Amino acid sequence: MATIASGALVNLEELVPSSQHFKHGISLRVTGKLQDYDVETAVAVIVDRNASLKVDTQHLNISLRIGSTFQFIGELLLEPDNEAILKARVGRNMDGIDLNLYRQSLQLLRDFQAGR
Amino acid sequence: MDALQLVNTHVKLLAFDFLTVKPIPHEPTIFSRKGRRLSRAETVGIVVSRDFKPNRFIKFDIDDGTGCIPCILWLNQESSHHFSRCRPSNVRLIAQMAADFASQIQLGVIGRVRGKISSYRGNLQITVSDVVIERDPNSQILHWLDCLRLARNCYDKVVVLP
Repeated sequence: MATIASGALVNLEELVPSSQHFKHGISLRVTGKLQDYDVETAVAVIVDRNASLKVDTQHLNISLRIGSTFQFIGELLLEPDNEAILKARVGRNMDGIDLNLYRQSLQLLRDFQAGR
Repeated sequence: MDALQLVNTHVKLLAFDFLTVKPIPHEPTIFSRKGRRLSRAETVGIVVSRDFKPNRFIKFDIDDGTGCIPCILWLNQESSHHFSRCRPSNVRLIAQMAADFASQIQLGVIGRVRGKISSYRGNLQITVSDVVIERDPNSQILHWLDCLRLARNCYDKVVVLP
């Protein structure tokens, strides 16, 4: 079995063109509330605070409910107009997650990794 | 916890940290991290791959956000010579438990995995002894914080022998 890339933890607000994570093909883990879902294309839109991201869910076998919080791991694809879409390979419902605790802990985790 | 002794403790390590432990020559079951001897580990993360061979093994990867830890759960207890001296009823129970764990390991679940640290073809992995599927979406966060606290307060402590 080939080694699989870990999805780097990012907040949606950090996914801007100047970010180190805004690269074609990079593996990411994103978290947000499901705002929209197109059944025909299987493209979902998740939001977190003031940012949003399109997620291609065609390879997933999960129940997507508008308003629920989801976490997706997959590869970021940059379209010609520089619009980003995450091609998800794993997704799960995260209703009940404490997003403030998540963001604070993620910062602690990054500080810890940077200090190694 | 005795600061000297981490062998046989399931150390909670983040994946990026786990993947830096080093084998110790001539001691195939013992590994070293910052000079401390380890043999077992615990991880929590999302199952991102799954390779199931009935009655042989299930290989899977746990992604904790800092890296992926390869895991193997053996399912061959009833045909393995390793168990030939054990009571058949015990072997059946162990095999049933392993099969039950394997059925729970599905893509996207948050798994808490414990087992022995091992190396296969030079790559570190966990040879799984037990699996718990976490229902609480905050369990991953709490595991990160546990790992940070334990690394700072316990695992990273420099041991000064008397």
